[in-house]
Amino acid sequence: MVDQNSNYALQTSEVYVHYGKKMAINNVALNFPKNEVTSLIGPSGCGKSTFLRCLNRMNDVIDICNVKGKFLLNGNVDIYSPDIQVETLREKVGMVFQKPNPFPKTIYENVAYGPKIHGIASSQNELDEIVKDSLHRAGLYEEVKDRMDDIATGLSGGQQQRLCIARAIAIRPEIILMDEPCSALDPIATAKIEDLINELKENYTIIIVTHSMSQASRVSSKTAFFHLGNLVEYGETGKIFTKPDKEQTNDYITGRFG
Amino acid sequence: MLYLSLVFVFILSYSFYFYGKKRALSLKFKKNENLSSLPDYYGYYVVLLVFFPAIIIWFFLLIFKSNFQEMFVMSPVLFPDVATWSSGKFGLIMNKISNLSIIVNLPEIDLTVGDKSILKMASESEIIAAKNLANFDKIYGWSNLTLFIILPVLLGFLATKSISGKLNAQPIVEKIISYVIKGSSYIAIFITFGIFFSLVFEAINFFRYVNFMDFFFNTAWNPNRAFVINASEGFDQEALKEAFGFVPLLTGTLLIASVAMLVAVPLGLLTAIYLAEYASSKVRDIAKPIIEILAGIPTVVYGFFAALSLAPFIKDVGEGVGLPVSAESALAAGLAMGVMIIPFVSSLSDDVIKAVPQSLREGSYAIGATKSETIKKVILPAALAGIMGSFLLAISRAIGETMIVVMAASLRANLTFNPLEPATTITTQIVTSLIGDVEFDNPKTLVAFALGLTLFVMTLILNIAAITIVKKYREKYE
Repeated sequence: MVDQNSNYALQTSEVYVHYGKKMAINNVALNFPKNEVTSLIGPSGCGKSTFLRCLNRMNDVIDICNVKGKFLLNGNVDIYSPDIQVETLREKVGMVFQKPNPFPKTIYENVAYGPKIHGIASSQNELDEIVKDSLHRAGLYEEVKDRMDDIATGLSGGQQQRLCIARAIAIRPEIILMDEPCSALDPIATAKIEDLINELKENYTIIIVTHSMSQASRVSSKTAFFHLGNLVEYGETGKIFTKPDKEQTNDYITGRFG
Repeated sequence: MLYLSLVFVFILSYSFYFYGKKRALSLKFKKNENLSSLPDYYGYYVVLLVFFPAIIIWFFLLIFKSNFQEMFVMSPVLFPDVATWSSGKFGLIMNKISNLSIIVNLPEIDLTVGDKSILKMASESEIIAAKNLANFDKIYGWSNLTLFIILPVLLGFLATKSISGKLNAQPIVEKIISYVIKGSSYIAIFITFGIFFSLVFEAINFFRYVNFMDFFFNTAWNPNRAFVINASEGFDQEALKEAFGFVPLLTGTLLIASVAMLVAVPLGLLTAIYLAEYASSKVRDIAKPIIEILAGIPTVVYGFFAALSLAPFIKDVGEGVGLPVSAESALAAGLAMGVMIIPFVSSLSDDVIKAVPQSLREGSYAIGATKSETIKKVILPAALAGIMGSFLLAISRAIGETMIVVMAASLRANLTFNPLEPATTITTQIVTSLIGDVEFDNPKTLVAFALGLTLFVMTLILNIAAITIVKKYREKYE
């Protein structure tokens, strides 16, 4: 059962996801503590990305995807309730994707997009401030401050991904979902993003799907291991990577399968 | 017979593929030779060496058939002084012989009195020549057929014989194929230039009669004035000066095309957005081909739809609200044309919108944008250049359209921007200037080429603009 513990940013239980008739997630219950980084790891096709996309209802876009279960934001908001507008949910739960997907607009417009839609800024000055601040937090400001009006697709892959993070935090979400944010980046850009995640967890709850176990151990405090749609094991990252309870987890992290 | 021999060329050269390949394989396995190319290429090598010489000779014989015919019929044996004849006399005699050839082999009973007198008037050698001519087709055909059985077989055996392990067939085959491919594309380019220059030369002829400036800047279009002819100096220069004013045609074209675009752009674009973003894949699979049918309806059908249904309807409505509407209005033609070009806008824009990566949509949704915000602020801007390209293609189509205007708008040039009045277009005037029995060197006929050239340049510019924009769009989000 979901308890009403407000130390959790997000609580889920009895989650089932089907693609048509194929089961993708089978009875998963997982809670995400506030201002911590939780990693979801597991072999390809284990359902970790599917699960992540349930958390901001990105799966709504896919016709054949059917999500069941309880999802509570801040202990009291059922995010799948018909009273909840999916847009306001996504204002609170931002997302960064596997492949950087900046809009083909200027760098400024990319970051200002969310605040404009949600009416966060009351004046142009405030909007400028939000854009600047978001880029700062994403560690990109120094690199792009002189070319805010350049088209964002001209940035390097790592810069684009940080821009996407800036875009996500510009609307001041509570939770940021990251779907393998470094898989398309080189090691240097990856290191930058990981540093960024460490800074961001001060203010945000971060849930990250990753294929890299070293990344999971570097950035997260909690880790959940998925396999074939089941949550096999969840716990402190240190414990999962040193003394996992389940043999399956041990096999995966020592590289025996996956 | 000539065409039957073509079939032989195809069949024989194809069958030599197997023979060549077999020969290569037997070299490899029976004589233990190392082949420089893959066995298939020896087959192709033989095929090409048989096919191309044979087909070139075949075309040569087809094109010069009439020359062979003349040589055969007008042989110096029958007409010893043939070399001294003028071409006029030669043609007359040739005509006579070909008339004779029709009757020369008929039985006595089928001949009319006229036929008999023609036969009587013909000389001995003319009769023989006529008989030769009557038999020529048969002789030519049979010798052709024989040639195209012997020639490919001969070439095939020679080519096969030349196969050895050292012969590297692959580069030879690939070279020949690359020439064939190159040649095909040059033909299309060559034809394009050919059309362009034929327009240019005739247009130059036109501008010999009519001043360049008069044509492009005069506001009256009365091509029939070109018939005013002064006995002493040919065309009446004053009348000619006033006959061909291009401006009303340009305004008419632009007016009708604008009406068409006013219909096609909103309907087409909204259709595209619906199909790409909102329609379920089932609806899309059915609706898209149906909409594309609109582009396949013959324009003449749109023409009578516009003339017989749309125009009277507009006239009735217009008169109902007290507006004077002509029975042949630019509006009717423009509306029908607009419906016709909807699929150009909707289908191309739909493809362009579909091509916007799904990741951009998800990125926008993930920030909490609604579907309509995403479409307005992310997808349409990303697809904008491609959408503009579709508009420009639609405009070129609208400007080039003829039949609808011929039937629904008017043939009378009218300098107006009022869509309720009749108007005419460049293409329509091209049609009217070419029909009727006016001699070809009259400016009234030649003006068609000047108009065609102008139209060609206009649509060319639009197409270049469209291609440039589409190219730019491709670079945008990758």
